[in-house]
Amino acid sequence: MKEYVLDEPLNEAFLEFLDQFGTVRHLEQLKKPYFSFEKEHFISIKGFTGECNVEVRYNKEFKDLVADYFHLLLFYEREGQPGVSRLRGIEAAIREKMKTRQDSAGGSRI
Amino acid sequence: MMQAPEENRSPIIYLNNAATTWPKPPEVLEEVARCLRTPFFEHGRSTAGGATDYPAAAREALAVFFHAEEPGHFIFTQSATDSLNLLIHGFAKNQKTPFHAITTELEHNSILRPLHALEEEGRLTLSTLPFDDDGRVTLQQIKNALRPDTRIVVMTHGSNVLGSLQNIRPIAEYCASNNIFLIVDGAQTSGQIPINLSELPAGAFVFTGHKALFGLPGTGGFYLTDPEAIAAVRQGGTGTDSRTLAHPQDMPQKFEAGTPNYPGIASLLAGIRSIEREGQDAITSKCRSLTSRFIGKLSTDPDITLYTPLPDLPVVSFNIGGLDNDEAGFILAKAYNIITRTGLHCAPLVHNRIDGGKGCVRVSFSWFNTREQIETAAAAIREVAESAGSQVHSD
Repeated sequence: MKEYVLDEPLNEAFLEFLDQFGTVRHLEQLKKPYFSFEKEHFISIKGFTGECNVEVRYNKEFKDLVADYFHLLLFYEREGQPGVSRLRGIEAAIREKMKTRQDSAGGSRI
Repeated sequence: MMQAPEENRSPIIYLNNAATTWPKPPEVLEEVARCLRTPFFEHGRSTAGGATDYPAAAREALAVFFHAEEPGHFIFTQSATDSLNLLIHGFAKNQKTPFHAITTELEHNSILRPLHALEEEGRLTLSTLPFDDDGRVTLQQIKNALRPDTRIVVMTHGSNVLGSLQNIRPIAEYCASNNIFLIVDGAQTSGQIPINLSELPAGAFVFTGHKALFGLPGTGGFYLTDPEAIAAVRQGGTGTDSRTLAHPQDMPQKFEAGTPNYPGIASLLAGIRSIEREGQDAITSKCRSLTSRFIGKLSTDPDITLYTPLPDLPVVSFNIGGLDNDEAGFILAKAYNIITRTGLHCAPLVHNRIDGGKGCVRVSFSWFNTREQIETAAAAIREVAESAGSQVHSD
């Protein structure tokens, strides 16, 4: 688990971007509007919209493959739709590596 | 994160005292500082005069506090986990053949894991007794589980998840009269409720220093009635009889090798004195009152599941509908500055029964919590529950 302090507060636009890659949950009525993002086998993110601090947890089994994924999300969000396409391509490549690793260990769940 | 100098950040409400208490009484911090300002002294290890022999003083204080006959039978360890490992493995080492052990589903991994390890090695067979709807294991269950080769019962005095207190005295009397060694894990009860070891014929009673006894983490110990029942599993320097290579068998040296944690023991001594000054009964009463008030604020909320309607100890475990316990704890900590604990609390078998093994949020109170803190925390939890519940209902 790592905690990051971002340069800018998290906003709803970032949540809309995240929604294209995994499951986003947003509890807007709280004292601080809470959000979470889950991407199976990759990462989970927790934080509050309007704040710069986030907590990121990496999948233990594939930590070496997904260690940069959070930073990729931040980077490609700025590029709009082309960024979505490129990140999907990178994801597919990561998934292939995950599958290869699991196949050699005797069975794939990816 | 907790100390971030944000403006308008609400003060910390610390509700994780079942893990470790915070804050500590001022006299604990003062005694630790005093201990560190003078050369350590312990008979046999130093010639420094005029300083407090903290291990000796703490043993005497523990004997008075727990109404025990033999101060020298109090052994200092790093923690309740350390104590339980020494006792369980030390007991097994003394057994010439495999034997049967009894424990319960309420237990912490500090009991389950050593027993599991011995079971895997074929040193013992294990019966794990379920708890009833009140979170208790009864004497009758233990009698029913007994076998001709039963040699030991290891069980908690108070559950760190359910807050339920076990009726341990009749169990201790039964075990004593049937030549079964009983180890009682008093990690959650020491300093929380009055305990009289002269009326509890257990083989060993385990305590931790850093919970309701208000000492520092890294302290704990046990009281051992019959030193012959447990073999020493560690050997080393004791400050006495250094010429012989055989480790001393006198108490307490038999189970204490190496330099003690003097500042930790000083904190334990001061913690006990602070409890005696406030009065154990006053502490017990206040914590129970806080617990009742807290539960009263949550019990009618349909989005909150409480796992013990009225616990005996100041431990309340719950879940919020539509929210993972991990998320709930995160929100309470980051948005409300309320410190709890989430997950399985090192007691996996309890959670298999109460929440399908998913874990829960646990709050736990100490003498230093206030009514206002309890009400603020309860209001925050209801607010989170309402928000999570409204999203579930709209989904």
